Amino acid sequence: MATKKRDIVIAGYVETAIDFKTGRSAYDLAGEALAGLLAATGIEKDVIDGLAVTVPLSEAPNPFFAVYMTEALGLTPTWLNYGGTGGCSATGGVARAASAIRDGQCEVAIVLSADAPSTAWRAQYGAYRGEFQDPPGVQGPPASFGLLMSRYHHQYGIKTEALGKIAITQREHALHNANAYAKFKKPLTMEDYLQSRVIADPLRLLDCVMFCDGANAFLVTTPARARSLGITKMVYPTAYAEITNLNGNLPCPDITETGFSRIAPKVYRQSGLTPKDIRMFHPYDDFTIAVLMQFEDFGFCKRGQGSDFTLDTDLSHLGALPLNTGGGQISAGQPGLASGGLNLAEAVRQMFGEGAGRQVEEPRNALVTGIGVIPYARNWGTSAAMILEA
Amino acid sequence: MVEAKTAVETKVERPVPTPSIYVDTAPFWDGARNGKLVLQYCRDTGKFQHYPRPVSLYTGSRNLGWREVSGKGVIYACTVIRVMGPGLAGRLPLSLATIELDEEVRMLGNILGADPDGVAIGQRVEVTWDRLADEVPYPAFRLA
Repeated sequence: MATKKRDIVIAGYVETAIDFKTGRSAYDLAGEALAGLLAATGIEKDVIDGLAVTVPLSEAPNPFFAVYMTEALGLTPTWLNYGGTGGCSATGGVARAASAIRDGQCEVAIVLSADAPSTAWRAQYGAYRGEFQDPPGVQGPPASFGLLMSRYHHQYGIKTEALGKIAITQREHALHNANAYAKFKKPLTMEDYLQSRVIADPLRLLDCVMFCDGANAFLVTTPARARSLGITKMVYPTAYAEITNLNGNLPCPDITETGFSRIAPKVYRQSGLTPKDIRMFHPYDDFTIAVLMQFEDFGFCKRGQGSDFTLDTDLSHLGALPLNTGGGQISAGQPGLASGGLNLAEAVRQMFGEGAGRQVEEPRNALVTGIGVIPYARNWGTSAAMILEA
Repeated sequence: MVEAKTAVETKVERPVPTPSIYVDTAPFWDGARNGKLVLQYCRDTGKFQHYPRPVSLYTGSRNLGWREVSGKGVIYACTVIRVMGPGLAGRLPLSLATIELDEEVRMLGNILGADPDGVAIGQRVEVTWDRLADEVPYPAFRLA
C-alpha cells in the first residue's frame, strides 16, 4: 500500500440555502458563498490564490465564466480551473486544487460551485442529441434512468420498498437541514412513495431530484497554511479517483456496470480503508437507483443485493451507515451543477461536528461521490469518489 | 380545418432535425428516406457504432463507412415516458427502448403499435418507420 497522503486539507466549507426560482444569478449565489466562507474561516479574501469554478447550467453559454467570476469576486488567482464534469466538479475541483497546491501553483484555493437553473436554464447540449436522442422522446435524465432501472431490474431485481426507504430516510434527514428547500420539509411515508406518480417506468417522481438554485464553496490548502491562517477545523481528503465514459470503446456494454465499480478499489487502496471502515456515506443522489447501485459498487454489499442491503441497514444519522445526512439532493433540492458540492458540504459539516440535530457520532471519515452527465443509452458519464478523514 | 391545424401542430412538435450538425450524418437520413436503416461502421474492424462519431470508437481512425443493417434486434432496456415534454404532445404514454441490433450495436427507439405496458426486455423487434414533420421517415421499432 502506498503511503497515505495527508498533506492537503479542506479547511472550510459553506453552503447557501437551496431554493426554487430565486430570481438570482450564479454570480450572486457565488458571492454569498464566498462571503460566507470568509466569515466561517476568518480568512482575508486576498490570501486566496487559487480558484476552481464549476460550469453552471445557468451561465453555460459564457465560455469565460470562470474568468468573469474572478472579476465578480475581486480575486487574482495564479491557478484557475473550470470544472465541466457536472456533479463531479466539486470533489474533482478539490482533487485538482490539491494537485495544483502540491505543484506550487497556488497555496490557498477555493472550490466554488454556484448555479441557478430553476431561474435561468441556458444549457444547449447540441452534438448528437437533436438527430438521435430528441426524436425518440428522450428529453431529459428521467427517460435514461427509466431505461437503466429496467435493465438493472431485469438482471438483479429491484424491491420498490428499498428505493422508497432511500427516499424516506433522506427526507427525514432533510427535516433537520436548515438549507434544504422549504417545500421538501415534510415527512414522507412509504405510502406516499408508493403512490408517487410513475414518470418513466419504473422511475417515480419521488425517485428524482428537482432543479433548484444554490451555491457551495470549500477552502483547500495545506495543514500548515491553514493553521497559519488561524484555522483549526480541517479534514483530509486522503483518496480520490474518477473515471469518464466507462467502456467507451464497447458498442454493447453491460450498463449496470458503472464507473464506481472501477474507482472504488482505488479509493480504498489509497486510504487503506475497507467498506466496513466507512463511517458515513454521501453518494451523489440524482436518482434513488444511483444510491442503491453505489451500495454495491463500493462493496457495502454484493452486486445485485442493493435492495436487500438497503432494507436491512439502518441508514439514518444514528444508524450503521448514515446516508446523505443532509437529505441529499433528492430531499434538499439539487442546486443545478453545484449539486456535487451539496453531498461534499454535508460530509465536511458532519466531520466538523456541525451536524446539529442530525450529527453522526464519531464522524472520523466519510465517503463522498459525484456523478456527471447522462450519455446516450448508458448509465452516466463521469463517476468520482473522495474519502475524507479526520 | 381540424386536419390543417393538426398538421401545423405536428410540424411544431416534431421538427425534422438539421442533419450533419456535428458529423456527416447524411447517409442515415438518405437511407431513412429509402426505407433503409443505415448506420455508421468502422472499416478497420467491421464493427458498427451508433450514434455516428467523428472517429472509430474501436481504433480512433477516420476510416469510417455506412452500411444498411437488418433492422432486427432485441430489446435491451425499456421504459414508458409518461410526462409531457418538447416533441411529446399526443405521443404519451410513449414506449422507449434501447434496442440491441443483431449487428451488435445499440440504438434508442420507440416501440410502435404495441401496448407500452406489454413491451419487455428480451422481446424481438424489427425496424418500422415513424413520421416527423413533412412526412420525413424516422426509424422506430415494432414487436417482431
